Amino acid sequence: MSSSFLAAFPLVFTQDVLIAMIASAIYGMVVGALPGLTATMATALLVPVTFYLSPIAAIATIITSSAMAIFAGDIPGCLVRIPGTPASAAYTDEAYKMTLKGQAETALGICLWFSALGGIVGTIALVLIAPALAEVALSFSTFEYFWLAILGLMCSTLVARSSPVKAIAAMLLGLLVSCIGIENPAGTPRFTFGSTDLLGGIDAIAALVGVFALAEVMRAVTQKDPPSIPDRKLGSILKGQIELTKRYPKQQIRGNIVGTLIGALPGAGADMAAWVSYSLSKRFSKEREKFGTGHPEGLVEAGASNNAALAGGWIPALLFGIPGDTITAIAIGVLYMKGLNPGPTLFTEKASSMYALYIIFLLANLLMIPLGIAMIRISKHVLKAPRSLIMPVIMVFCAVGAFSAAGNNLYAVLIVAFFGIAGYLMEENGFPVAAMVLGIVMGTMVEQNFVTSLIKSDGSILPFLSRPIAAFLAFLTFIALFWPLIAWLRRYKASLDAAAPAR
Amino acid sequence: MRISDRISGVFLALLGAAAFWGGSRLPPVPGQQVGPSAFPMVVGSGLIIVGILIALHIGRSFEEQAEAELAEHSQPDPEAEAFQRRRRWLAFLPPALMVAYYFLSERVGFVPVAAVMIAILAFTLNAKRSLILPVSIFGALAIHLVFVKLLRVPLPPGPLPMPW
Repeated sequence: MSSSFLAAFPLVFTQDVLIAMIASAIYGMVVGALPGLTATMATALLVPVTFYLSPIAAIATIITSSAMAIFAGDIPGCLVRIPGTPASAAYTDEAYKMTLKGQAETALGICLWFSALGGIVGTIALVLIAPALAEVALSFSTFEYFWLAILGLMCSTLVARSSPVKAIAAMLLGLLVSCIGIENPAGTPRFTFGSTDLLGGIDAIAALVGVFALAEVMRAVTQKDPPSIPDRKLGSILKGQIELTKRYPKQQIRGNIVGTLIGALPGAGADMAAWVSYSLSKRFSKEREKFGTGHPEGLVEAGASNNAALAGGWIPALLFGIPGDTITAIAIGVLYMKGLNPGPTLFTEKASSMYALYIIFLLANLLMIPLGIAMIRISKHVLKAPRSLIMPVIMVFCAVGAFSAAGNNLYAVLIVAFFGIAGYLMEENGFPVAAMVLGIVMGTMVEQNFVTSLIKSDGSILPFLSRPIAAFLAFLTFIALFWPLIAWLRRYKASLDAAAPAR
Repeated sequence: MRISDRISGVFLALLGAAAFWGGSRLPPVPGQQVGPSAFPMVVGSGLIIVGILIALHIGRSFEEQAEAELAEHSQPDPEAEAFQRRRRWLAFLPPALMVAYYFLSERVGFVPVAAVMIAILAFTLNAKRSLILPVSIFGALAIHLVFVKLLRVPLPPGPLPMPW
């Protein structure tokens, strides 16, 4: 272990990796700070660039830019009450109220300080949990992988902030998309309608660029320009953060843990972590009445949570190839491309690369503090960049990026357009796109394990349930499937009970 | 743009039925019980079920709950909503421009097509008139330079080759 750990340092501290990290940190900060541009979009548009980098540098750009973008999303939330990324939406109100009270620097400081701490704790969790789980995962057969993948997909429907039925529909649509092409157990062309372009299947990166980037450009067309940022003198950003850390240790740790766990849940990422942590913080607070008036407590917990979620998302991604959030859904594609195929053996055969990944995570979160302060200082200039000129350029990036990611195939541009429309319409109508994306990314894996297991068992369902771990995973899957029904019944009963005394 | 749950549910159910039917017609693998048809048929049946459930408004209460929670965190802005309604069809302009790129870029070349795309969308987004022309031309040239020179992506040159 120690030898591969030492071997990781020269992998990270090379010129190309460090330059890639700093460049992607600045890129992530700017994209995250601009409202309407999300961390996932930042990652999706980075993919063509990663082609030309070494494996470690490629992963470093994704880790660094996403961490910076999640933090930078807090800046416009604090200053103009518009979250820069969805991950900041849960506590934008609270942060803005602090700004109104004249505590803008404290609010921004909390976001920065606890983001960095959250990212570091999340990384430690990744370091501790992933290799241990890898030991267990080595004994998994196709039956376990099948249930694991299905459980992952079901989780992504459970955590969606929408109707569970619509979430399952979105997931099934994603699985259906993954059926297209010849990449199936028999190599038969499926749903290709005679098109040679469809034989290779739907390029996942192009679909993701459509759903996460082009759909965002489409939304921008229907939304008014955000208000301009008022001039405001900011004092010391980090002043008082140590005191806050001492005053809210429980909130911070709870935020870290909840964030890491939610990040590890497939399909749920930083935005979900922030929502859950903010409401947990409110529920357990001794000063609940202060929430919503510019109180730092919820900000501490949610800020600590959303950055911890980023590292958590990598746990299932590295171990099983199951994305923990939409960012790792893209990262998995890059891992395969760079020969770092996800799986438990990654931790034994490519151990030094894994250690390099941990070091990059720590470095990125340390880098966040000085760069974040710089970004806060210049944010009023960055936020002046007119959306009306940025969005058109991003649209062209979508076309060019997808084209190059799909092996210079012009057909990818049509896929982007199609999935842009699909993603836009789905989001408007309450179908969570993250569930569909998971379906697209995991479809081939689900089918392969499903069909291989069925062939092994001679078409019998019994072996799917007779192995202990498989049975346990199946049990969890059915709980996930029926949980919404249970929740609904409980709510229905509660409403009946509430109505009963009135009668 | 809102589509009623009845329409989207029926659409999903029909799509599921088509997937089931299309899957069932795939040729089996000789000597094996399960082949390429199994998975599309399972997914198709699932879509039929959830499509019907959506059309019957089942699960709607969860959506209402999430919407109420979101409304708590943001104030209603009737002006923004009216703006959104007015421009709902314009949202389809970016994908339309992408389709135009698909058909035109090889014939006309990347730089002119990209510049016109940027200009059209910037105009639609009410960008400052004096900035549209320089940004669209400079933006297209810059993207071309980065992708062709640095990343070696073969963007279509068209009849007007670039000096790099």
